[in-house]
Amino acid sequence: MTSSDSAKAATPFNLMGFLARYGTILSLVILIIVFSIGRPEVFPTLRNMFNVLNQVSILGIIAIGLTVCMVVGLFDLSIGAMATFGGYFAARFLAEIGSDSVLVVAGVMILVLVLAMLIGMLNGALIARLGISPIVETLAMSFIVTGLILGVSGSRTVNPSEITMTFQWIGQGRVMGIPNAVLILAATAFVLWLFLEHTQSGRNMYALGGNKEAARLSGISFTKYALMGMAIAAACAALGGMVAGANLGSGRPQGVGETYLLNAFVAVFIGASTLKPGKFHVLGTCIGVLLIGVINNGLSTLGVPTFWQYIVQGTILILALISASANSVRRA
Amino acid sequence: MTGTAMSDSETGISLAGPVLRVRGMRKEFPGTLALDDVALTVRRGEIHALLGENGAGKSTLIKCICGAYAPTAGEVLVDGRPVSFSTPRGAVEAGIAVVHQHYNLVPSLSVAENLWLGEALPRRLGLVDWAAVHARARQVLDRVGLDIPTDADVSTLRPDQLAMISIAKAVSGDARIIILDEPTNALLPHEVDRLFEQMRGLATGGHSFLYVSHRLAEVFEIANRVTVLRDGRNAGEFGRDGLDRRAVVDAIVGKRAAQVGRKSRTHASAQTMMQVRNLSGPVSQDVSFTLHTGEIVGVAGLPGSGAEETLNLLFGRLRRRAGTVTVADRPVDLRDPAAAIAAGIALVPADRLTESMFHAETIRANISMPSLSKYLRDPLLKLINRGAEVAGISEVATRMRVRMPGIETHVDDLSGGNQQKVVLGRWLSTGARIFLLNAPTAAVDVGAKAEIYDLIQELAASGAGIVFASTELEEYLVVCDRVLVFFQGRVVGELAGDSLTEGNIMTLAAGGDLSDDQQ
Repeated sequence: MTSSDSAKAATPFNLMGFLARYGTILSLVILIIVFSIGRPEVFPTLRNMFNVLNQVSILGIIAIGLTVCMVVGLFDLSIGAMATFGGYFAARFLAEIGSDSVLVVAGVMILVLVLAMLIGMLNGALIARLGISPIVETLAMSFIVTGLILGVSGSRTVNPSEITMTFQWIGQGRVMGIPNAVLILAATAFVLWLFLEHTQSGRNMYALGGNKEAARLSGISFTKYALMGMAIAAACAALGGMVAGANLGSGRPQGVGETYLLNAFVAVFIGASTLKPGKFHVLGTCIGVLLIGVINNGLSTLGVPTFWQYIVQGTILILALISASANSVRRA
Repeated sequence: MTGTAMSDSETGISLAGPVLRVRGMRKEFPGTLALDDVALTVRRGEIHALLGENGAGKSTLIKCICGAYAPTAGEVLVDGRPVSFSTPRGAVEAGIAVVHQHYNLVPSLSVAENLWLGEALPRRLGLVDWAAVHARARQVLDRVGLDIPTDADVSTLRPDQLAMISIAKAVSGDARIIILDEPTNALLPHEVDRLFEQMRGLATGGHSFLYVSHRLAEVFEIANRVTVLRDGRNAGEFGRDGLDRRAVVDAIVGKRAAQVGRKSRTHASAQTMMQVRNLSGPVSQDVSFTLHTGEIVGVAGLPGSGAEETLNLLFGRLRRRAGTVTVADRPVDLRDPAAAIAAGIALVPADRLTESMFHAETIRANISMPSLSKYLRDPLLKLINRGAEVAGISEVATRMRVRMPGIETHVDDLSGGNQQKVVLGRWLSTGARIFLLNAPTAAVDVGAKAEIYDLIQELAASGAGIVFASTELEEYLVVCDRVLVFFQGRVVGELAGDSLTEGNIMTLAAGGDLSDDQQ
């Protein structure tokens, strides 16, 4: 650590490099200041901060899972469908069983996560073993999963009255004043950060994403980590969908995951332009998610029409990508 | 040295006038002076080599000449008239074309389409007139004496043909000065010969070449004149007559003349390390040899002869069709690289950029990648003990003499030679005992080459067995104890001691017979 610090200290200050690393965080800070000045009585309150976190928690869980598969150099367009899958099947299973026991709820959630992982592993196997493009494969899988949910549900929503209170508490309750959804986000972020940055599997994933052939020649199996990465992405999407279902108190067979799909990609790409330009990483994704949350919350507290949220979000994404590419040009 | 360079070009004994002159060229970057008062003169019909170690300023000079960089001071004269370009386009219009290492060709397009790239295609009735496109392309190829169909996909061509197409393209744009930036890196000896033959033809017709290369043997073969740069200054200029290998190497490396001699001492013992029996792959047939502890065995041959393939078979990169491999008397199943690594085998592949480097990663991460298992805190979660990793990798980097600010430096910020040391070091910590080295000094400067030769000998001295391949024949003499020569998939000869000469390797590799020479 000391050697990296001294290396950085030795290089002269470079504005483009600084913006590439810290531009996203800087814009987050600026936005928070602007919104705080604009609505001092509403925006900068502890209550609203939790509000922001609560609003982005589901997006965050899904986006962090997506980060893992993108580290391996893959792509997952089925996360939207998988979120719907998680929310619907957790609600449906619990409605069928009708028990309110904590064990049953936990058991059902684990079962849904395992099913999601199996679908993710199928994605990974098709991509790695048959060499199919991840974009096309996961797009196809999202159709299949969507069809499966519509078929099983007969397009009928599982109503709040059918869903146990314990499950709803997961999406609506609080522990020590902190919304449960935020705690689940924090736990997911911590576990996957530890996994990517501090375990051998995580390092092997970065190696594969950086140079697949060099990784193979270092004895790292692409198939193994493709399965792992896609399974984690699918499981996180299903977890995010379950939190969304618990929060809504219903199991919708459609229209849940689609809203998160594109935002998750936006968050991951903003994250890849933060702190470590050009690399996907959990901390960056979290900052991307927060940025989206602050923009949406801040603009609505200011009473700005919704369409502005889209425009500001798109503009910030483009700026983030420009600063990231300026940095990579500089390095080359 | 600068003085001789100036007077030599000023006297201008040659009848051919200077077509390109560079005077007082200076280029400053923040914190460094890349070029300092550099002079260069290229005459009409001349093949002029530009030599120097990595970082000597060759690339910077070329970029200043062709308009990619704006010089801090100095001027470029074409036909005696000062020119200055703010864009590469301007240089092209002045008759200067640059052919880069990777030739700037689009592999999925045809030869004709590549030759027309960037220009408006001829049209008839609003549609592309393909007959005219191919006819014009044919003319361009004929001009350089290149006999390939204009509708061939570029991806199907040999490297020397790619180089020639790039040159043809330059010539078709009426370039009279063609700058070649390491054009022979990807080329085999016989391909280099063909390229040189065609370059000589063009030079006779009045074209001039400025030729940048690391391969001294080639420079001596092709160049009429040589300019050497060192640390951003002129370090010598040599005409064809005064071209002395020793003097040129001295000029390149400066005082610490790295005289790389023929290998004199062997570390080989009688103890068998690896036995290869009747190994066959897609090309190689019935390859058998024994590698001893401390021994360095070369595998030589033209591309596609099976020499390089044998390395890939031994590392499990390719599936073997037949044969057995035993390491320390135990048979090993080389089904994939992971199995080879487990058997104590390491591979340094030929192409550092695409096959070995983890770009955007630190030196530490690059070295520790295959040996992370050594630095785990627990077998279940496989959490990495960062302290142990830093300590272990620092030791490897020091042993490999990697020149760096620290092990957290990004590997892309290192020179080619230091990157290759990182790649070699990667395998020290896996406990590998058998090293398969494929062109480990490719695109590395002279000084770093000598260091890598030393490291290879140190590995052998420590008891490792090494199988070595190279695209430069002279390296086999410097590095190896004995050399197996491949021709059409089979080992056709083994050379050691006095019979190990560049000529003998070449003869066998081309399918010839040594008996005439030996009797």
